[in-house]
Formats: sequence, structure tokens, C-alpha cells
Amino acid sequence: MTEAALIRATGVEKCYPNGTQALNGVDLSVARGEVVCIIGPSGSGKSTLLRTLNAMETITAGEVVVDGILVHARGTDLNRMRTHVGMVFQQFNLFPHMTALENVALAPMRVLRRPPAEARARAEELLVKVGLADKAQVHPGQLSGGQQQRVAIARALAMQPAIMLFDEPTSALDPEMVGEVLEVMKDLARDGMTMCVVTHEMGFARAVANRVIFMDAGQIQHQAAPAAFFDAPANDRLKAFLGQVLK
Amino acid sequence: MTRQRSRGLWYGVYALVLLGLVAGIWGMAARVHYDWNWKDVPKYLISTSGTELLAPFDAYVSISPDGKTLSLQEYGGERSASYTEFAEAYAESGDLVFRDDLLAYQAGLKPGILLIGLWMTLKLSAVSLVFALVLGLVAGLGRVADNPAARQLSSNYVELIRGTPLLVQIFIVYFFIGTVLQLSAFTAGVVALAVFTGAYIAEIVRSGIESVPRGQMEASRSLGMNYAQAMRYVILPQALKKTLPSLAGQFINLIKDSSLVSVMALTDLTKAGREIISSNFRPFEVWFTIALMYLALTGSLSYLVRRLEKRLAHD
Repeated sequence: MTEAALIRATGVEKCYPNGTQALNGVDLSVARGEVVCIIGPSGSGKSTLLRTLNAMETITAGEVVVDGILVHARGTDLNRMRTHVGMVFQQFNLFPHMTALENVALAPMRVLRRPPAEARARAEELLVKVGLADKAQVHPGQLSGGQQQRVAIARALAMQPAIMLFDEPTSALDPEMVGEVLEVMKDLARDGMTMCVVTHEMGFARAVANRVIFMDAGQIQHQAAPAAFFDAPANDRLKAFLGQVLK
Repeated sequence: MTRQRSRGLWYGVYALVLLGLVAGIWGMAARVHYDWNWKDVPKYLISTSGTELLAPFDAYVSISPDGKTLSLQEYGGERSASYTEFAEAYAESGDLVFRDDLLAYQAGLKPGILLIGLWMTLKLSAVSLVFALVLGLVAGLGRVADNPAARQLSSNYVELIRGTPLLVQIFIVYFFIGTVLQLSAFTAGVVALAVFTGAYIAEIVRSGIESVPRGQMEASRSLGMNYAQAMRYVILPQALKKTLPSLAGQFINLIKDSSLVSVMALTDLTKAGREIISSNFRPFEVWFTIALMYLALTGSLSYLVRRLEKRLAHD
């Protein structure tokens, strides 16, 4: 496990300056090609954990190794590390002043210094992949939430990351648009992408995840393969939580 | 129907108020027995007095018999010159003239002192604007920076400039800094106006950057962009678009504030007006004319900005 682990977090703690303990000793290991879903009540630290994996949040103790890079070490080139780790946000965070195509092509052009023609060709391929070939020249303001989130996924994929982090990718969507985004994510999982997904979509977790993690109070309370996780909840807290979200 | 009638009524009130104002001004003018004379004003815009032709060196004058050609032969030298385009000669054949003596008047129109002043105001505002934008952008970025030195310095700059009157700053720049560094009046004017306007632009830039959602910076950084790239390609384009109306307001303020540099030896529009008044003692006509000229300048600028805003508002 440790040999193949693409992500390895050990004893991660995160304490905000106001004293809130968001993460309280988290150990997490994700193998290459594995899909891990993280669930838990709001405020349990699941988003914070995800954001420490690409140093969008600092940590106060422990260490995180991603693709062989010690993420929170002083000398780490964060910008280079982040090109290996794609991130998709709850609020999409597309760049509103650019077309869908420009959104996808921007980082490869500016960060990886790809020639514009090459970056655009690759961006078009990715838009085809997420089913939005006809929206390349459209600004995000004219796209539905589901379409925006698919562009955001294409944008993250454009950097050819080894890992994709999803921070509640469907929570801001109207119910009828959740499916199209989950479909794209399923395709990704089938292609063998290593994924960490913070989600409330239990159906997705059960169908796609290799492992489901339950977080509460800044700690991993339980983790198991989806069948065992959902069918035989290991403790009362998880049982109560699942009862809440699955009713 | 009643709505329509009451709207008409209020337009009537508006016309009445305007009429009252005009009547009030007219009444005031009548009270002080002011003798309006608008006839003099156009010549300050376009001068018909022609150009003076001055002798370039000490020389003897000779004028051809038909009176159309004026030739010079340098006194104690080899140089010579001849002029044909002039309306009226002031020298006669055989005269010995010295350098810068008046030889003749060349007829024709040339910009009057008000237009020259307007051009100076425009030039001063435009050059100051360029430097103010650069200064404001740098200081605005400093205001939102993580680096304590950059943050403190820009904050002090903004507080210092916004807390002191522009006129006092102009005096300090002109009499103190200008003397120490041997600045020309124009340079001193540009420095004072750019530094002053830059502080306000810095605040506009800061508020623009802060109005862009945090997620934009996060998304950019998550893609591997560094802070400067994220600012340049993602944050600033959005911020500047949002702040365009306030920036335009600041540009218009800059044009108006430039009238204060007339306290220096710099003939801008306002100073031109003061010079005219000191020779013809007609303050009313001149100040009204100058106000209209400023209004034309600022009005056309805000029109241009509105068009730009419309073009940028496509999404």
C-alpha cells in the first residue's frame, strides 16, 4: 500500500488562529487509480482535509506527501506541485471574463508554456470529453450550473494531473443537473484517474468509490469498501448520519 | 392619463426653475451694472492677430520694390535670409535691425491663449493619468499584498495623500521638491497630480480586487499559477472592468484638479483665463467660457467611457 500510495497524509492537524481544531490527527493514504469518497456532516473537516492535500490550506502538524512531494515542507515549489493535482470546487469558480475554451486553455498556456494552438486543440478535446464541444465559445454566465462544473472539470484535466480533488462538486447544482456531472466523474474513474471526492451523493459513492471515508469532528471515524460501509455501518454515529442523509 | 399629466407638470416646474436661475443671474448682472461684452471672447480662442516675424540675427534690411520680399544681410557676417509671406512690414529698406527685432507681421489664424491653455490642460491631465494609473495599480496591489512592507507603505501613501489638500501638495512639490531636483513647472505639475490621483486610484484598484470572489484566486492557484499570473490573467481583468465607472470619475476629477496647477508658472486653461482677465478686466465672460470648456472636456470623456462600458458589458 505505502509503495503505491499517491497520497499519504500522516497525523495531519489543522488549528485555525481562533482556536478551532478543524483536523485532529488524520491519517489517509490513497493508492494510484483509487477513488475515495469522503462523507460526513458539515464542519467535520472533510473539505479542509481535501484542501490540505494541495496546500490550499496550511497545516499545523503532521505531513502530507503527494506524488512523492512533501506538500507542506518549506522549500516545496507549490505551483509545480499543484500542476499534478487538479481541483474542482463547489462553486465552479470559472473565470467569467473568458470563454469556456479560454478557461480550459489558460493554465496550460501560462503555466506549462504550451503554444496557444496546441493548448486550444487540447482544450477542445477536453470539452468534447465532458460533452460540451458546442459551448467552446460561450462565456460561463451563459452556461447552466452543470455545464459550468463540467467546464471546470475539463479545466482541471487540462493540466494532466495525476490526482483529481473534488470539493462537493454537485452541492451547488440544481437536482436535474447533478447527473451529468456525476457521469463525467464516473468516466474519469473508469479511465483510472486517482480521485478524492468530498460529496453528499451516496449513490455515487456506492457505485464508483473503492473506499468510503466517514469524517466527524476533524477525524476519520471509519473507512471501508462501499458495500460494507453502507450496508453494515460500523458505529452509531455513522448509522445516525446515514439515517439522516439516506431517508 | 393622470400620470402623464403630472409628468408634464413636473417638466414645467423644471423649466420654470431653470428660467428662474437665468433670470436671477441676469438680475444680478443688472444690479452690478455689468456691461456684458461677449465679442471679445472669440479672439482668445482663435487669434487673428497673426504671427510676429523676428530677426534671427543682426542684419541690414532690404525690401524689394514691389514690397513683397524682405531680405536680410547679416551685419559683420555672411548669413542672409529672405521672407515673402507677410502682411505688413515694420522695417524699412536700409534699416539695421538687431536680433529679435520685429520685422513684419505674418497674417493668418493661430490658436488663442484659451486654446493653448486647453491643450496644456489636456497634455498635463493625460501625462499625469498615465503615471497615476501605474502608481495606483502598484499601490493598490500593495494594499492587498501579504507582504507587510508593501502593505504598510501603500497604506501610508494613501493616507498621507488623501489627508492633505492638493493645493498644499502642489506647493510642496513645486517649491520644495521642484527646487531640490530642479524640476520644470510641467514636471512638477505632473508629479503632484499623478501622486495625488494615484492614491485615489489605489483605493479603487483595491476595492476592485476585493470585489472579485476569493474562489477566483483559489481556482487560479489550484491550477499552478503563481500569484502574479493569477492577478494578471484572472483577478485584474475582472477588477478593472468592475471599477471602470469609478476610474472614469477619477479621470474627470483629474482634469478638474489640474486647474490647481495654475498657481505654478504653467499656462493651463485656468491660468490662461487669469491672464486674460488681468488684461481686459472681463471676469464674467472669461470664467463662463472656461467653465464651458472644462465641461466639454469632461463631458466628452464620460461619453467615451459610457461607450467603452457598453462594449465591455457583453457578458
